Amino acid sequence: MSPADITVIAIVIGSIALFGGATVLAMGWAFRNGQFENFQQGAASIFGPDEPIGEMTDAFPVKRAAKHAAQPESQD
Amino acid sequence: MAAATQTPDYDRQRAAAERAAIDASCRGPVLYFSASAVFWLLIGSVLAIIASTKMHSPYFLTGTPELTFGRMRMAHLQAVALGWSSMATMAASLWMMCRLARAELIYPKILLASATLWNVGTFLAVFGIIFGGGQSVEWLDAPQYAPPFFIAGLGIVSAWVAAVFRRRREPHVYVTQWYILAAVFWFPWLYTVAVMMIFWSPATGVVQPIVNWWFNHNFLGLWLTPVAVGTAYYIIPKVIGRPIHSYYLSITGFWALALFYSWAGMHHLIGGPVPAWLVTASVVGSMMMFIPVIAVAINHHMTMLGHFHRAKYSPALRFTVFGAITYTWVSFQGAIESLKSFSEVAHFTHYTVAHAHLGAYGFVAMIFFGLFYYMIPRLTGREWASASLIRVHFWTAAVGITIYFVGLSIGGWWQGRMLNDPNVPFGNIITYLKPYFLTRTIAGILMTTGHLAFATLFIMNLAGWGKKRVGGPTYFVEPLKTTNSPNAKN
Repeated sequence: MSPADITVIAIVIGSIALFGGATVLAMGWAFRNGQFENFQQGAASIFGPDEPIGEMTDAFPVKRAAKHAAQPESQD
Repeated sequence: MAAATQTPDYDRQRAAAERAAIDASCRGPVLYFSASAVFWLLIGSVLAIIASTKMHSPYFLTGTPELTFGRMRMAHLQAVALGWSSMATMAASLWMMCRLARAELIYPKILLASATLWNVGTFLAVFGIIFGGGQSVEWLDAPQYAPPFFIAGLGIVSAWVAAVFRRRREPHVYVTQWYILAAVFWFPWLYTVAVMMIFWSPATGVVQPIVNWWFNHNFLGLWLTPVAVGTAYYIIPKVIGRPIHSYYLSITGFWALALFYSWAGMHHLIGGPVPAWLVTASVVGSMMMFIPVIAVAINHHMTMLGHFHRAKYSPALRFTVFGAITYTWVSFQGAIESLKSFSEVAHFTHYTVAHAHLGAYGFVAMIFFGLFYYMIPRLTGREWASASLIRVHFWTAAVGITIYFVGLSIGGWWQGRMLNDPNVPFGNIITYLKPYFLTRTIAGILMTTGHLAFATLFIMNLAGWGKKRVGGPTYFVEPLKTTNSPNAKN
Protein backbone atom coordinates (compact mmCIF):
# COMPACT_ATOMS: atom_id res chain seq x y z
CA MET A 1 0.00 0.00 0.00
CA SER A 2 1.16 3.51 -0.82
CA PRO A 3 1.31 6.27 1.81
CA ALA A 4 -1.77 7.81 0.16
CA ASP A 5 -3.71 4.55 0.61
CA ILE A 6 -2.70 4.36 4.25
CA THR A 7 -3.82 7.97 4.72
CA VAL A 8 -7.23 7.19 3.20
CA ILE A 9 -7.74 4.13 5.39
CA ALA A 10 -6.56 5.95 8.51
CA ILE A 11 -8.95 8.83 7.84
CA VAL A 12 -11.91 6.54 7.17
CA ILE A 13 -11.30 4.45 10.30
CA GLY A 14 -10.54 7.56 12.33
CA SER A 15 -13.76 9.22 11.14
CA ILE A 16 -15.85 6.18 12.03
CA ALA A 17 -14.27 6.02 15.48
CA LEU A 18 -14.55 9.77 16.07
CA PHE A 19 -18.09 10.32 14.84
CA GLY A 20 -19.49 6.99 15.97
CA GLY A 21 -17.87 7.39 19.37
CA ALA A 22 -19.03 10.99 19.70
CA THR A 23 -22.60 10.03 18.78
CA VAL A 24 -22.70 7.22 21.34
CA LEU A 25 -21.18 9.44 24.02
CA ALA A 26 -23.55 12.32 23.26
CA MET A 27 -26.64 10.11 23.33
CA GLY A 28 -25.47 8.36 26.51
CA TRP A 29 -24.87 11.70 28.21
CA ALA A 30 -28.25 13.03 27.06
CA PHE A 31 -30.09 9.99 28.46
CA ARG A 32 -28.22 10.08 31.78
CA ASN A 33 -28.74 13.82 32.04
CA GLY A 34 -32.49 13.59 31.50
CA GLN A 35 -32.42 15.56 28.25
CA PHE A 36 -34.93 13.19 26.64
CA GLU A 37 -37.43 13.47 29.49
CA ASN A 38 -40.22 16.01 29.94
CA PHE A 39 -40.30 17.30 26.36
CA GLN A 40 -42.97 19.84 27.23
CA GLN A 41 -40.61 21.60 29.59
CA GLY A 42 -37.82 21.42 27.02
CA ALA A 43 -39.92 23.16 24.38
CA ALA A 44 -40.66 25.99 26.81
CA SER A 45 -37.03 26.45 27.87
CA ILE A 46 -36.46 29.33 25.40
CA PHE A 47 -39.09 31.46 27.13
CA GLY A 48 -38.54 33.33 30.34
CA PRO A 49 -40.13 35.88 32.65
CA ASP A 50 -39.22 38.75 30.30
CA GLU A 51 -40.22 36.96 27.08
CA PRO A 52 -43.01 34.64 28.21
CA ILE A 53 -45.17 32.29 26.18
CA GLY A 54 -47.98 34.24 24.55
CA GLU A 55 -45.99 37.35 23.65
CA MET A 56 -44.92 38.17 20.12
CA THR A 57 -41.34 39.44 20.20
CA ASP A 58 -40.81 41.02 16.81
CA ALA A 59 -42.56 43.53 14.59
CA PHE A 60 -41.85 45.93 11.75
CA PRO A 61 -40.32 49.07 13.31
CA VAL A 62 -43.05 51.43 12.16
CA LYS A 63 -45.89 49.21 13.33
CA ARG A 64 -44.20 48.66 16.66
CA ALA A 65 -43.67 52.40 17.11
CA ALA A 66 -47.32 53.05 16.25
CA LYS A 67 -48.48 50.44 18.72
CA HIS A 68 -46.14 51.83 21.33
CA ALA A 69 -47.45 55.34 20.85
CA ALA A 70 -51.03 54.15 21.10
CA GLN A 71 -50.39 52.20 24.30
CA PRO A 72 -47.70 54.05 26.27
CA GLU A 73 -48.40 52.12 29.49
CA SER A 74 -48.68 48.70 27.90
CA GLN A 75 -45.20 47.54 27.05
CA ASP A 76 -46.13 44.00 26.14
CA MET B 1 -50.63 38.83 27.35
CA ALA B 2 -52.33 37.47 30.45
CA ALA B 3 -49.18 35.54 31.37
CA ALA B 4 -47.17 38.70 30.96
CA THR B 5 -49.20 40.73 33.42
CA GLN B 6 -49.07 37.97 36.03
CA THR B 7 -45.28 37.77 36.01
CA PRO B 8 -43.63 39.63 38.87
CA ASP B 9 -41.81 42.74 37.73
CA TYR B 10 -38.66 41.74 39.55
CA ASP B 11 -38.31 38.47 37.63
CA ARG B 12 -38.88 40.25 34.34
CA GLN B 13 -36.31 42.86 35.14
CA ARG B 14 -33.73 40.32 36.25
CA ALA B 15 -34.29 38.13 33.17
CA ALA B 16 -34.08 41.17 30.89
CA ALA B 17 -30.85 42.27 32.55
CA GLU B 18 -29.36 38.80 32.16
CA ARG B 19 -30.33 38.67 28.50
CA ALA B 20 -28.93 42.17 27.91
CA ALA B 21 -25.63 41.19 29.57
CA ILE B 22 -25.38 38.09 27.39
CA ASP B 23 -26.07 40.10 24.24
CA ALA B 24 -23.54 42.72 25.30
CA SER B 25 -20.86 40.05 25.79
CA CYS B 26 -21.13 38.79 22.22
CA ARG B 27 -21.88 42.14 20.56
CA GLY B 28 -18.39 42.75 19.11
CA PRO B 29 -17.63 39.34 17.55
CA VAL B 30 -21.18 38.65 16.38
CA LEU B 31 -21.49 42.06 14.72
CA TYR B 32 -18.06 41.58 13.11
CA PHE B 33 -19.04 38.19 11.71
CA SER B 34 -22.41 39.58 10.58
CA ALA B 35 -20.98 42.69 8.91
CA SER B 36 -18.38 40.57 7.12
CA ALA B 37 -21.13 38.20 5.95
CA VAL B 38 -23.11 41.11 4.49
CA PHE B 39 -19.97 42.46 2.77
CA TRP B 40 -19.23 39.11 1.12
CA LEU B 41 -22.89 38.79 0.13
CA LEU B 42 -22.56 41.99 -1.89
CA ILE B 43 -19.27 40.88 -3.47
CA GLY B 44 -20.77 37.48 -4.29
CA SER B 45 -23.84 39.11 -5.82
CA VAL B 46 -21.77 41.26 -8.20
CA LEU B 47 -19.70 38.24 -9.24
CA ALA B 48 -22.90 36.25 -9.79
CA ILE B 49 -24.43 38.87 -12.07
CA ILE B 50 -21.23 39.05 -14.16
CA ALA B 51 -21.08 35.24 -14.48
CA SER B 52 -24.80 34.97 -15.24
CA THR B 53 -24.70 37.71 -17.89
CA LYS B 54 -21.89 35.90 -19.69
CA MET B 55 -24.14 32.86 -20.14
CA HIS B 56 -26.51 34.72 -22.49
CA SER B 57 -24.15 37.51 -23.64
CA PRO B 58 -20.82 35.73 -24.13
CA TYR B 59 -19.01 38.87 -25.31
CA PHE B 60 -19.72 40.72 -22.06
CA LEU B 61 -16.42 41.69 -20.32
CA THR B 62 -14.14 39.51 -22.38
CA GLY B 63 -11.14 41.85 -22.37
CA THR B 64 -9.27 40.34 -19.41
CA PRO B 65 -8.69 36.80 -18.20
CA GLU B 66 -9.64 37.89 -14.68
CA LEU B 67 -13.25 38.41 -15.77
CA THR B 68 -13.78 35.15 -17.65
CA PHE B 69 -16.78 33.00 -16.74
CA GLY B 70 -14.78 30.24 -15.05
CA ARG B 71 -13.10 32.60 -12.60
CA MET B 72 -16.22 34.69 -11.92
CA ARG B 73 -18.32 31.63 -11.19
CA MET B 74 -15.73 30.06 -8.87
CA ALA B 75 -15.11 33.36 -7.07
CA HIS B 76 -18.88 33.83 -6.64
CA LEU B 77 -19.18 30.42 -5.01
CA GLN B 78 -16.35 31.11 -2.57
CA ALA B 79 -17.73 34.57 -1.71
CA VAL B 80 -21.24 33.35 -0.95
CA ALA B 81 -20.47 29.91 0.52
CA LEU B 82 -17.46 30.78 2.66
CA GLY B 83 -17.94 34.52 2.97
CA TRP B 84 -21.68 35.09 3.37
CA SER B 85 -23.18 31.77 4.43
CA SER B 86 -20.37 30.52 6.66
CA MET B 87 -19.84 33.82 8.45
CA ALA B 88 -23.59 34.13 9.00
CA THR B 89 -23.57 30.55 10.29
CA MET B 90 -20.82 31.39 12.79
CA ALA B 91 -22.56 34.61 13.91
CA ALA B 92 -25.79 32.64 14.41
CA SER B 93 -24.03 29.83 16.27
CA LEU B 94 -22.26 32.14 18.71
CA TRP B 95 -25.27 34.34 19.47
CA MET B 96 -27.85 31.59 19.82
CA MET B 97 -25.53 29.38 21.87
CA CYS B 98 -24.92 32.25 24.32
CA ARG B 99 -28.64 32.99 24.58
CA LEU B 100 -29.78 29.39 24.89
CA ALA B 101 -27.03 28.48 27.35
CA ARG B 102 -27.74 31.70 29.28
CA ALA B 103 -23.98 32.21 29.44
CA GLU B 104 -21.87 35.19 28.51
CA LEU B 105 -19.16 34.95 25.89
CA ILE B 106 -15.66 34.83 27.36
CA TYR B 107 -12.61 36.46 25.76
CA PRO B 108 -14.58 37.92 22.83
CA LYS B 109 -11.48 39.59 21.39
CA ILE B 110 -10.08 36.21 20.37
CA LEU B 111 -13.18 35.71 18.27
CA LEU B 112 -12.41 39.00 16.54
CA ALA B 113 -9.12 37.38 15.51
CA SER B 114 -11.07 34.36 14.31
CA ALA B 115 -13.32 36.50 12.12
CA THR B 116 -10.25 38.29 10.75
CA LEU B 117 -8.63 34.95 9.88
CA TRP B 118 -11.80 33.89 8.08
CA ASN B 119 -11.98 37.19 6.20
CA VAL B 120 -8.35 36.86 5.10
CA GLY B 121 -9.07 33.31 3.94
CA THR B 122 -12.12 34.43 1.97
CA PHE B 123 -10.22 37.35 0.46
CA LEU B 124 -7.41 35.01 -0.64
CA ALA B 125 -9.94 32.54 -2.01
CA VAL B 126 -11.99 35.05 -4.00
CA PHE B 127 -9.17 37.21 -5.35
CA GLY B 128 -6.75 34.28 -5.66
CA ILE B 129 -9.25 32.67 -8.04
CA ILE B 130 -9.80 35.91 -9.96
CA PHE B 131 -6.05 36.30 -10.49
CA GLY B 132 -5.60 32.74 -11.71
CA GLY B 133 -4.83 30.69 -8.60
CA GLY B 134 -8.04 28.66 -8.55
CA GLN B 135 -8.10 24.87 -8.16
CA SER B 136 -10.14 22.72 -10.50
CA VAL B 137 -12.07 21.12 -7.62
CA GLU B 138 -15.66 22.26 -7.27
CA TRP B 139 -16.43 24.04 -3.98
CA LEU B 140 -12.78 23.65 -2.98
CA ASP B 141 -11.67 26.04 -5.74
CA ALA B 142 -9.72 28.28 -3.35
CA PRO B 143 -5.95 28.47 -3.84
CA GLN B 144 -4.01 26.21 -1.50
CA TYR B 145 -2.82 29.08 0.67
CA ALA B 146 -6.40 29.88 1.81
CA PRO B 147 -7.51 26.73 3.74
CA PRO B 148 -5.15 27.20 6.74
CA PHE B 149 -6.88 30.51 7.49
CA PHE B 150 -10.30 28.83 7.38
CA ILE B 151 -9.21 25.93 9.57
CA ALA B 152 -7.64 28.23 12.18
CA GLY B 153 -10.65 30.57 12.23
CA LEU B 154 -13.11 27.72 12.41
CA GLY B 155 -11.18 25.98 15.18
CA ILE B 156 -11.49 29.05 17.40
CA VAL B 157 -15.23 29.39 16.76
CA SER B 158 -15.83 25.71 17.49
CA ALA B 159 -13.82 25.91 20.70
CA TRP B 160 -15.70 29.01 21.83
CA VAL B 161 -19.11 27.50 21.12
CA ALA B 162 -18.08 24.46 23.16
CA ALA B 163 -16.77 26.72 25.96
CA VAL B 164 -20.06 28.63 26.13
CA PHE B 165 -21.93 25.33 26.27
CA ARG B 166 -19.71 24.16 29.14
CA ARG B 167 -20.48 27.35 31.07
CA ARG B 168 -24.25 27.11 30.54
CA ARG B 169 -26.65 28.15 33.29
CA GLU B 170 -29.68 26.67 31.51
CA PRO B 171 -29.72 22.94 32.31
CA HIS B 172 -31.89 21.92 29.34
CA VAL B 173 -30.18 21.53 25.97
CA TYR B 174 -32.64 23.01 23.47
CA VAL B 175 -32.87 21.41 20.02
CA THR B 176 -31.13 24.41 18.42
CA GLN B 177 -28.11 23.78 20.63
CA TRP B 178 -27.95 20.17 19.44
CA TYR B 179 -27.85 21.40 15.85
CA ILE B 180 -25.20 24.04 16.55
CA LEU B 181 -22.96 21.71 18.56
CA ALA B 182 -23.17 19.11 15.81
CA ALA B 183 -22.34 21.64 13.08
CA VAL B 184 -19.29 23.08 14.83
CA PHE B 185 -18.09 19.54 15.53
CA TRP B 186 -18.73 18.15 12.02
CA PHE B 187 -17.55 20.95 9.79
CA PRO B 188 -13.93 21.41 10.96
CA TRP B 189 -13.37 17.68 10.46
CA LEU B 190 -15.19 17.66 7.13
CA TYR B 191 -13.20 20.57 5.74
CA THR B 192 -9.81 19.44 7.05
CA VAL B 193 -10.26 15.89 5.76
CA ALA B 194 -11.40 17.11 2.33
CA VAL B 195 -8.46 19.48 1.95
CA MET B 196 -6.03 16.84 3.20
CA MET B 197 -7.28 14.06 0.91
CA ILE B 198 -7.48 16.25 -2.18
CA PHE B 199 -4.54 18.65 -1.80
CA TRP B 200 -2.16 17.97 1.07
CA SER B 201 -1.91 14.18 0.82
CA PRO B 202 -3.89 13.47 -2.34
CA ALA B 203 -5.83 10.23 -2.52
CA THR B 204 -5.52 8.49 -5.86
CA GLY B 205 -8.07 7.74 -8.57
CA VAL B 206 -11.79 7.89 -7.99
CA VAL B 207 -11.36 8.47 -4.27
CA GLN B 208 -10.80 12.16 -5.05
CA PRO B 209 -14.22 12.85 -6.61
CA ILE B 210 -15.81 10.73 -3.89
CA VAL B 211 -14.17 12.88 -1.20
CA ASN B 212 -15.01 16.00 -3.24
CA TRP B 213 -18.75 15.28 -3.36
CA TRP B 214 -18.82 13.97 0.18
CA PHE B 215 -17.52 17.40 1.16
CA ASN B 216 -19.64 19.45 -1.22
CA HIS B 217 -22.96 17.96 -0.24
CA ASN B 218 -22.12 17.92 3.45
CA PHE B 219 -21.05 21.57 3.33
CA LEU B 220 -24.75 22.28 2.95
CA GLY B 221 -26.02 19.29 4.93
CA LEU B 222 -23.75 19.20 7.95
CA TRP B 223 -22.72 22.84 8.22
CA LEU B 224 -25.30 25.28 6.84
CA THR B 225 -28.45 23.14 7.22
CA PRO B 226 -28.12 22.26 10.92
CA VAL B 227 -27.57 25.87 11.95
CA ALA B 228 -30.29 27.19 9.62
CA VAL B 229 -32.84 24.60 10.82
CA GLY B 230 -31.76 25.29 14.40
CA THR B 231 -32.28 29.00 13.78
CA ALA B 232 -35.83 28.36 12.57
CA TYR B 233 -36.46 26.29 15.70
CA TYR B 234 -35.43 29.31 17.75
CA ILE B 235 -36.87 32.23 15.78
CA ILE B 236 -40.35 30.86 14.95
CA PRO B 237 -41.45 29.96 18.49
CA LYS B 238 -39.67 32.95 19.97
CA VAL B 239 -41.31 35.49 17.66
CA ILE B 240 -44.84 34.16 17.91
CA GLY B 241 -44.52 33.31 21.60
CA ARG B 242 -45.54 29.70 21.23
CA PRO B 243 -43.46 26.56 22.02
CA ILE B 244 -42.76 24.28 19.08
CA HIS B 245 -45.55 21.85 18.29
CA SER B 246 -43.71 18.62 19.10
CA TYR B 247 -40.40 18.73 20.88
CA TYR B 248 -40.17 14.94 20.51
CA LEU B 249 -40.32 15.29 16.71
CA SER B 250 -37.64 17.99 16.75
CA ILE B 251 -35.20 15.74 18.59
CA THR B 252 -36.07 12.82 16.28
CA GLY B 253 -35.42 15.07 13.29
CA PHE B 254 -32.02 16.07 14.59
CA TRP B 255 -30.79 12.52 15.18
CA ALA B 256 -32.20 11.35 11.84
CA LEU B 257 -30.31 14.13 10.06
CA ALA B 258 -27.15 13.19 11.94
CA LEU B 259 -27.59 9.59 10.84
CA PHE B 260 -28.51 9.98 7.18
CA TYR B 261 -27.30 13.24 5.70
CA SER B 262 -23.63 12.35 5.46
CA TRP B 263 -24.47 9.47 3.10
CA ALA B 264 -26.11 11.68 0.52
CA GLY B 265 -23.24 13.26 -1.44
CA MET B 266 -22.46 10.31 -3.72
CA HIS B 267 -25.71 10.72 -5.66
CA HIS B 268 -23.89 13.51 -7.51
CA LEU B 269 -21.69 10.79 -9.03
CA ILE B 270 -24.52 8.78 -10.58
CA GLY B 271 -23.21 7.45 -13.89
CA GLY B 272 -19.64 8.19 -12.88
CA PRO B 273 -16.76 5.68 -12.64
CA VAL B 274 -17.32 4.90 -8.96
CA PRO B 275 -18.47 1.67 -7.28
CA ALA B 276 -22.20 1.16 -7.89
CA TRP B 277 -22.86 0.15 -4.27
CA LEU B 278 -21.51 3.50 -3.10
CA VAL B 279 -23.97 5.43 -5.26
CA THR B 280 -26.84 3.10 -4.30
CA ALA B 281 -26.08 3.53 -0.60
CA SER B 282 -26.09 7.27 -1.14
CA VAL B 283 -29.48 7.14 -2.89
CA VAL B 284 -30.83 5.17 0.08
CA GLY B 285 -29.39 7.78 2.45
CA SER B 286 -30.97 10.54 0.39
CA MET B 287 -34.39 8.87 0.52
CA MET B 288 -34.05 8.35 4.28
CA MET B 289 -33.72 12.13 4.56
CA PHE B 290 -37.50 12.21 4.19
CA ILE B 291 -37.64 11.30 7.90
CA PRO B 292 -35.91 14.39 9.37
CA VAL B 293 -37.39 16.68 6.71
CA ILE B 294 -40.97 15.53 7.39
CA ALA B 295 -40.32 15.85 11.12
CA VAL B 296 -39.13 19.44 10.68
CA ALA B 297 -41.91 20.28 8.21
CA ILE B 298 -44.68 19.02 10.49
CA ASN B 299 -43.19 20.80 13.44
CA HIS B 300 -42.73 24.17 11.78
CA HIS B 301 -46.12 24.07 10.08
CA MET B 302 -48.03 23.01 13.18
CA THR B 303 -46.22 25.59 15.30
CA MET B 304 -47.19 28.32 12.84
CA LEU B 305 -50.77 27.06 12.40
CA GLY B 306 -53.08 29.91 13.34
CA HIS B 307 -50.15 32.34 13.43
CA PHE B 308 -49.26 32.71 9.75
CA HIS B 309 -50.82 36.19 9.72
CA ARG B 310 -48.08 37.32 12.08
CA ALA B 311 -45.54 37.10 9.26
CA LYS B 312 -47.21 40.30 8.05
CA TYR B 313 -45.94 42.14 11.11
CA SER B 314 -42.58 40.55 11.80
CA PRO B 315 -39.68 40.79 9.34
CA ALA B 316 -37.77 38.06 11.15
CA LEU B 317 -40.73 35.70 11.00
CA ARG B 318 -41.48 36.50 7.36
CA PHE B 319 -37.99 35.58 6.15
CA THR B 320 -37.69 32.60 8.49
CA VAL B 321 -41.02 31.05 7.51
CA PHE B 322 -40.16 31.49 3.83
CA GLY B 323 -36.86 29.69 4.47
CA ALA B 324 -38.50 26.93 6.51
CA ILE B 325 -41.11 26.22 3.83
CA THR B 326 -38.37 26.20 1.20
CA TYR B 327 -36.39 23.71 3.31
CA THR B 328 -39.22 21.23 3.02
CA TRP B 329 -39.59 21.75 -0.71
CA VAL B 330 -35.88 21.66 -1.57
CA SER B 331 -35.26 18.59 0.58
CA PHE B 332 -38.11 16.64 -0.98
CA GLN B 333 -36.86 17.67 -4.39
CA GLY B 334 -33.28 16.68 -3.50
CA ALA B 335 -34.35 13.22 -2.39
CA ILE B 336 -36.26 12.66 -5.64
CA GLU B 337 -33.34 14.04 -7.65
CA SER B 338 -31.06 11.41 -6.18
CA LEU B 339 -32.99 8.63 -7.93
CA LYS B 340 -31.09 7.21 -10.88
CA SER B 341 -34.12 7.36 -13.19
CA PHE B 342 -34.63 11.05 -12.42
CA SER B 343 -30.92 11.77 -12.81
CA GLU B 344 -31.00 10.39 -16.34
CA VAL B 345 -32.61 13.69 -17.30
CA ALA B 346 -31.69 16.19 -14.59
CA HIS B 347 -28.01 15.32 -14.07
CA PHE B 348 -25.45 17.75 -15.56
CA THR B 349 -28.16 20.31 -16.37
CA HIS B 350 -29.27 23.68 -15.02
CA TYR B 351 -32.04 21.86 -13.15
CA THR B 352 -29.40 20.97 -10.55
CA VAL B 353 -28.17 24.58 -10.47
CA ALA B 354 -31.73 25.74 -9.71
CA HIS B 355 -32.02 23.16 -6.94
CA ALA B 356 -28.69 24.19 -5.39
CA HIS B 357 -29.69 27.84 -5.33
CA LEU B 358 -33.08 27.06 -3.85
CA GLY B 359 -31.29 25.32 -0.99
CA ALA B 360 -28.46 27.79 -0.47
CA TYR B 361 -30.58 30.92 -0.95
CA GLY B 362 -34.29 30.15 -0.62
CA PHE B 363 -33.69 28.09 2.50
CA VAL B 364 -30.37 29.00 4.16
CA ALA B 365 -29.93 32.66 3.20
CA MET B 366 -33.59 33.54 3.86
CA ILE B 367 -33.45 32.04 7.35
CA PHE B 368 -30.23 33.92 8.10
CA PHE B 369 -31.81 37.14 6.83
CA GLY B 370 -34.63 36.48 9.29
CA LEU B 371 -32.15 35.86 12.09
CA PHE B 372 -30.29 39.08 11.32
CA TYR B 373 -33.53 41.08 11.44
CA TYR B 374 -34.14 39.65 14.90
CA MET B 375 -30.58 39.60 16.26
CA ILE B 376 -28.94 42.84 15.08
CA PRO B 377 -31.33 45.28 16.86
CA ARG B 378 -30.82 43.34 20.07
CA LEU B 379 -27.05 43.70 19.73
CA THR B 380 -26.93 47.36 18.70
CA GLY B 381 -29.91 48.57 20.73
CA ARG B 382 -31.31 50.24 17.60
CA GLU B 383 -34.45 49.51 15.62
CA TRP B 384 -34.22 49.05 11.88
CA ALA B 385 -34.30 52.46 10.27
CA SER B 386 -36.77 51.74 7.48
CA ALA B 387 -39.64 49.27 7.28
CA SER B 388 -39.91 50.03 3.55
CA LEU B 389 -36.35 48.87 2.89
CA ILE B 390 -37.08 45.64 4.76
CA ARG B 391 -40.09 45.07 2.52
CA VAL B 392 -37.98 45.82 -0.57
CA HIS B 393 -35.45 43.28 0.65
CA PHE B 394 -38.04 40.60 1.28
CA TRP B 395 -39.99 40.92 -1.94
CA THR B 396 -36.95 41.24 -4.21
CA ALA B 397 -35.34 38.23 -2.55
CA ALA B 398 -38.53 36.13 -2.57
CA VAL B 399 -39.56 37.01 -6.13
CA GLY B 400 -35.94 36.80 -7.32
CA ILE B 401 -35.29 33.29 -6.04
CA THR B 402 -38.70 32.15 -7.32
CA ILE B 403 -37.97 33.42 -10.84
CA TYR B 404 -34.50 31.89 -10.64
CA PHE B 405 -35.79 28.51 -9.54
CA VAL B 406 -38.75 28.26 -11.89
CA GLY B 407 -36.84 29.52 -14.93
CA LEU B 408 -33.80 27.30 -14.57
CA SER B 409 -35.83 24.25 -13.49
CA ILE B 410 -37.94 24.38 -16.66
CA GLY B 411 -34.98 25.21 -18.88
CA GLY B 412 -32.77 22.62 -17.19
CA TRP B 413 -35.33 19.85 -17.49
CA TRP B 414 -35.75 20.39 -21.24
CA GLN B 415 -31.98 20.75 -21.54
CA GLY B 416 -31.69 17.24 -20.08
CA ARG B 417 -34.34 15.86 -22.38
CA MET B 418 -32.60 17.32 -25.42
CA LEU B 419 -29.14 16.16 -24.29
CA ASN B 420 -30.54 12.63 -24.14
CA ASP B 421 -31.76 12.91 -27.73
CA PRO B 422 -28.91 12.28 -30.19
CA ASN B 423 -30.87 13.97 -32.98
CA VAL B 424 -30.73 17.40 -31.30
CA PRO B 425 -27.56 19.37 -32.21
CA PHE B 426 -25.74 20.73 -29.15
CA GLY B 427 -25.86 24.30 -30.53
CA ASN B 428 -29.65 24.14 -30.63
CA ILE B 429 -29.75 23.33 -26.92
CA ILE B 430 -27.64 26.41 -26.12
CA THR B 431 -29.91 28.60 -28.26
CA TYR B 432 -32.98 27.12 -26.54
CA LEU B 433 -31.55 27.92 -23.10
CA LYS B 434 -30.73 31.58 -23.74
CA PRO B 435 -34.09 32.99 -22.54
CA TYR B 436 -33.80 30.95 -19.36
CA PHE B 437 -30.29 32.30 -18.79
CA LEU B 438 -31.74 35.79 -19.17
CA THR B 439 -34.35 35.09 -16.48
CA ARG B 440 -31.49 34.09 -14.19
CA THR B 441 -29.77 37.43 -14.70
CA ILE B 442 -33.04 39.28 -14.05
CA ALA B 443 -33.54 37.22 -10.90
CA GLY B 444 -29.96 37.95 -9.84
CA ILE B 445 -30.45 41.69 -10.31
CA LEU B 446 -33.62 41.51 -8.21
CA MET B 447 -31.87 39.62 -5.42
CA THR B 448 -28.90 42.00 -5.53
CA THR B 449 -31.30 44.94 -5.19
CA GLY B 450 -32.57 43.31 -2.03
CA HIS B 451 -29.03 42.79 -0.78
CA LEU B 452 -28.28 46.48 -1.31
CA ALA B 453 -31.39 47.36 0.72
CA PHE B 454 -30.27 44.91 3.41
CA ALA B 455 -26.71 46.30 3.48
CA THR B 456 -28.08 49.87 3.66
CA LEU B 457 -30.26 48.93 6.62
CA PHE B 458 -27.34 47.17 8.27
CA ILE B 459 -25.00 50.16 7.88
CA MET B 460 -27.71 52.57 9.09
CA ASN B 461 -28.26 50.40 12.13
CA LEU B 462 -24.54 50.21 12.95
CA ALA B 463 -24.25 53.97 12.43
CA GLY B 464 -27.04 54.56 14.95
CA TRP B 465 -29.58 55.91 12.46
CA GLY B 466 -32.40 53.70 13.67
CA LYS B 467 -34.55 54.66 16.63
CA LYS B 468 -33.34 53.53 20.03
CA ARG B 469 -35.18 50.51 21.30
CA VAL B 470 -37.48 51.79 24.03
CA GLY B 471 -39.20 48.66 25.21
CA GLY B 472 -41.68 47.03 22.94
CA PRO B 473 -42.56 43.40 22.88
CA THR B 474 -39.12 41.92 23.35
CA TYR B 475 -38.27 43.46 26.69
CA PHE B 476 -34.67 43.49 25.54
CA VAL B 477 -34.55 46.76 27.42
CA GLU B 478 -36.68 46.42 30.49
CA PRO B 479 -39.25 49.22 30.21
CA LEU B 480 -39.99 49.46 33.92
CA LYS B 481 -36.61 50.15 35.53
CA THR B 482 -33.55 50.01 33.33
CA THR B 483 -31.03 51.64 35.64
CA ASN B 484 -29.53 48.32 36.78
CA SER B 485 -29.47 46.83 33.35
CA PRO B 486 -26.06 46.60 31.65
CA ASN B 487 -27.83 47.88 28.58
CA ALA B 488 -29.65 50.68 30.29
CA LYS B 489 -28.34 53.32 27.93
CA ASN B 490 -30.31 51.73 25.12
